[in-house]
Amino acid sequence: MSTSTTTAPTSLSEAPRPGRLRRFSQLRAYTQTLSSSTSSGHRSRNSLSSRVPWLSPSSSGPESSTRPAGNSTAAEVLESDEPALSRYTSAPTAGAFHGLSIDTQTSSAESSRSTPPNEPASRSSNVMARLRSASAVQGRPPRTTALASTTTPDAPTSASETTSAATAISTSATTTTSPTPANQKATIRFFPHQDSLQSSRPSLPFTPIARTLPSDGSVIRVGRYSERDGVPVPNPSEPSDAPVGFKSKVVSRKHCEFSYKGGQWHIKDVGSSSGTFLNHMRLSQPNMVSRSYPIKDGDIVQLGIDFRGGEEMIFRCVRIRIECNRSWQQQPNEFNKNTESLIKNLGKGDGANYSGCRECSICLGSVLRPYQCLFMAACAHVWHYKCISRLLHSPEYPMFQCPNCRAFTDLSAEVDDTPDVLEAKTEDTTEGALPAGESTASHAETQPAAASPSVPATGEQQQGRTSLEPHTEEPDIATDVENLHLQDEDDRNSASGSGNEAEDDRNVDSAGPSTSNDDLARSATVSVTGFQPTQPVNVPLSRSPRLRADTPAETSDDNPLTPRNDMGPLAFDGRAGMRSE
Amino acid sequence: MASQKRIGKELSELTASPPEGISVELADEADLFKWKVFMNGPEGSPYEGGKFLVNLTLPNEYPFKPPTVSFGTKIYHPNVTNDEKGSMCLGMLRADEWKPSSKIAAVLEFARQLLLEPMPDDAVEGRIAEQYKSDRKRYDEIAREWTRKWAMSGQ
Repeated sequence: MSTSTTTAPTSLSEAPRPGRLRRFSQLRAYTQTLSSSTSSGHRSRNSLSSRVPWLSPSSSGPESSTRPAGNSTAAEVLESDEPALSRYTSAPTAGAFHGLSIDTQTSSAESSRSTPPNEPASRSSNVMARLRSASAVQGRPPRTTALASTTTPDAPTSASETTSAATAISTSATTTTSPTPANQKATIRFFPHQDSLQSSRPSLPFTPIARTLPSDGSVIRVGRYSERDGVPVPNPSEPSDAPVGFKSKVVSRKHCEFSYKGGQWHIKDVGSSSGTFLNHMRLSQPNMVSRSYPIKDGDIVQLGIDFRGGEEMIFRCVRIRIECNRSWQQQPNEFNKNTESLIKNLGKGDGANYSGCRECSICLGSVLRPYQCLFMAACAHVWHYKCISRLLHSPEYPMFQCPNCRAFTDLSAEVDDTPDVLEAKTEDTTEGALPAGESTASHAETQPAAASPSVPATGEQQQGRTSLEPHTEEPDIATDVENLHLQDEDDRNSASGSGNEAEDDRNVDSAGPSTSNDDLARSATVSVTGFQPTQPVNVPLSRSPRLRADTPAETSDDNPLTPRNDMGPLAFDGRAGMRSE
Repeated sequence: MASQKRIGKELSELTASPPEGISVELADEADLFKWKVFMNGPEGSPYEGGKFLVNLTLPNEYPFKPPTVSFGTKIYHPNVTNDEKGSMCLGMLRADEWKPSSKIAAVLEFARQLLLEPMPDDAVEGRIAEQYKSDRKRYDEIAREWTRKWAMSGQ
């Protein structure tokens, strides 16, 4: 989804254009502002970029997340982009979020404790659609600090209406601290492409290849595979400009080159005999060097032409689908952070806020119901496994193309279990950015064991109450499920404004099973009524940070020895405060 | 069936809050896969004032396969075939362009937008496209006349 914005904003911001282009941009604006899915806008963007080739360089140029710092031209490009971008981000985002906030507010206001488990489909999906477009806009890569600073003023303010103050703060924090251009490198990936349109012969199969340029001036040479080069590494973990080789006779030894200049990937035929084709256009005469052509995400590059009908594998041409300028998608951004929160909050009912990733784009149903199989692609889009399985087990397997953003995922890729440095860093800042340093402190003081899976009951309860939402300690599932129910308890209590005694009783009740083992805890919680999302949308989220921020009295609550009975009224107060704002 | 569930959802969504100038109903109550869409000619286009019947057919594999859109009302438009089929050429409905996450609402919006701004470079009726590009006035005239003749007869 967020991909759809990669080119869209830029082209939108190019103000008046004649004829078709103007129409396209109008159309795009039109479809995007409508509550229909952003995919329509996406689609028109696609056609725009595919049919108007001269637009593509400019549209994909500024979005290169991979530009190294200190590149003066890059900085210039960015600066010139900035006003346009900010213009874009401010207007529709604010609009979308505004609409959203109204929706959610009304819904939370009018939804009593007995909101039906399924919100009226039309409304919720409207919210969703808007959210999606909003998050699509916001999900723009925080490519540089400059851009981040332009987006942040918009993002948190509008977001704070819908989510909570603390979430907004954490978003802004992560936005500003997210990777600077310094640690971003130009990345390109090659995927095998089978031409589906003409019933043409299959092209040469190859494993997907990824390259990250070690330096700005490096060039990726592509040619025929040769034993002399040694066994090629398809996906080196380190930045590499190792040549890419294909085992086909129609590929010349020196066939073409990929380079990265001024924030834009280029391809150049270096005198191949059977030609390099960019989107079916031959770049140069046989054995002639071509000029550099800009390429963009989704372009198809064909090396050579089938020889002898391509019956033998060795005579098949190579068709490559290019994936570039997508590295922002592989870094923390608004959208995949939302998805992360979705995963962490899964099973908490509609209480948590997922900003746009709660809908399966195949069945348009919610992915939030607990106990169903989900599939998440590398681009952080989520579907029901059942819905998406058809696209997973396609003839293209192990390649999977996201039906939302068209990003390719290699399903056979090795599991990446390296510790995520970036993520840890941003999480730190998230924690630090929260106004309540006290909550962290209190965690440290009163529940040192909170991070470990075997938490004492009270500790867990506190965790459920105080650090509901950014689970910095990565609790295990059982803890999550427990949190959910404890939280529901709180909600019910606070929503009803019931007395302390009742609440105390319930807390004791719910704390009881959680002391035992995980299974028990889970089964115990299943029966809790809160499992049907009875609480109003967004409320728990907006409440928890408020508690952390504004109620220092809570520290006493963290003490395992004190009874936990002053939580309800406080929670109620905090939430009321949030709402009236 | 999964597709029925989704279609039902989209249908109820579209009937509950139809996009501007568009109303949908099932051609046959028992068949979720055939829709009748009534599209009002957008303001400012030569189709203004007309009410066009658009037949939307959903494949069994929906949403993995795109729906097909055809005009049941005769219309003078570069992107709609000028025969009894009235097939409409929508880029987003091409098999390789279609994405399951696209919704029918978006398709209809797109179709209506096409009434407002035809795409002569993507035309199925080359002659009309040529005229649209070279003699816009004449095109407007004929389109308006056709609209009067075919799309307003019921009123």
